[in-house]
Amino acid sequence: MTENHHSPSGRTWDWLMVLCRWFLGAHFIWMGLVKAWDPVGFLKLLRQYELTQQPLLLNSIAGALPWFEVFCGVLLVLGVAVRGTALLCLGMLVPFTVIVLKRAMELSATHHLPFCLVKFDCGCGAGEVFICRKLLENSVQILVSSLLLSGLGRSISWRYQIFGSKEITR
Amino acid sequence: MKPVLLEGLLVAILGILLALAANALSPQGLSLQRNYFPAPAAATNAVTPGAGSLPLAGTSTTNSVRDRLLAKGLLFATAADAKAAFDDPAYQQGLIIFIDARADEPYATAHIPGAWQLNYYHPEKHLAGVLPACMSAQKIIIYCTGGDCEDSEFTALLLKNGGVPAERLFVFGGGVTEWAAQPWPLESGGRNSGLIKSRP
Repeated sequence: MTENHHSPSGRTWDWLMVLCRWFLGAHFIWMGLVKAWDPVGFLKLLRQYELTQQPLLLNSIAGALPWFEVFCGVLLVLGVAVRGTALLCLGMLVPFTVIVLKRAMELSATHHLPFCLVKFDCGCGAGEVFICRKLLENSVQILVSSLLLSGLGRSISWRYQIFGSKEITR
Repeated sequence: MKPVLLEGLLVAILGILLALAANALSPQGLSLQRNYFPAPAAATNAVTPGAGSLPLAGTSTTNSVRDRLLAKGLLFATAADAKAAFDDPAYQQGLIIFIDARADEPYATAHIPGAWQLNYYHPEKHLAGVLPACMSAQKIIIYCTGGDCEDSEFTALLLKNGGVPAERLFVFGGGVTEWAAQPWPLESGGRNSGLIKSRP
């Protein structure tokens, strides 16, 4: 099954999604580089989530994930394997958002704080942030990734998809 | 949908390989095999309280830190203990040494004058110089930023596992933050750079 975006409204949507794709890619590159510059700081923050007791797994996440984010960001900006990369972005964003939400709820309960006044360094690369703002940011990124996965944001792509023809394959 | 999944898988494999390579090549990269956060030592390894432990401040926080250190077989030093050690003539003779467990940038910004640097997360850069100094010292005071910073404790454990007798290892819990809060000297640049900040 194929789909094209030759109608005026389809083109407008697609161009808007190209801008969103560039923004999401640039965001991933920036946040990844911030963490890659200080993997020890990222490692300490990850440890607080108590995701795993296995040093190999924890170190691998802290050492490799920031560079993986940069890689995905570069692919999105260039427009290479966009839908596959958007799928991976969702695979990172959704679990991480759940983990951050859980941690914020714990902090809110422990310190008897209104939920939106909870502020902590979630390891996202932006330092201390208010949780509601962070959740909103992540929701927007999840939405953009989902739209990219659906096939929007195809213009100005170096190699939009690796497998299949130039038409979007569903 | 299948091509998208395949594409995602290909990107994931390539991305993971590149990310691992970047981590290995980066000067800040992590060692994947190393346990950076060792579990507390067994009770059998604990140092007996009073066997060389320094006088303690009276706060419950200080006592809880001291208890945690004792469980790891380490001793606690207050800011007053650290200053007394700094002023002791034995410090000039190398019988007392300070070790700064922080990274390059904070160490170069300000450290206790004459303190050796031993970045816990990249010890390979400094261990060859620090270990002989530790072996000939009678008292080793290790610090990091203070507060929640545990790097001084981990560094002390690293030295203990490297053969330095536990009864010589003291962790200055307040760290450089507590030192800097006092009008005590600080050194910038490298060790013994002579760039001493004397404060009123």
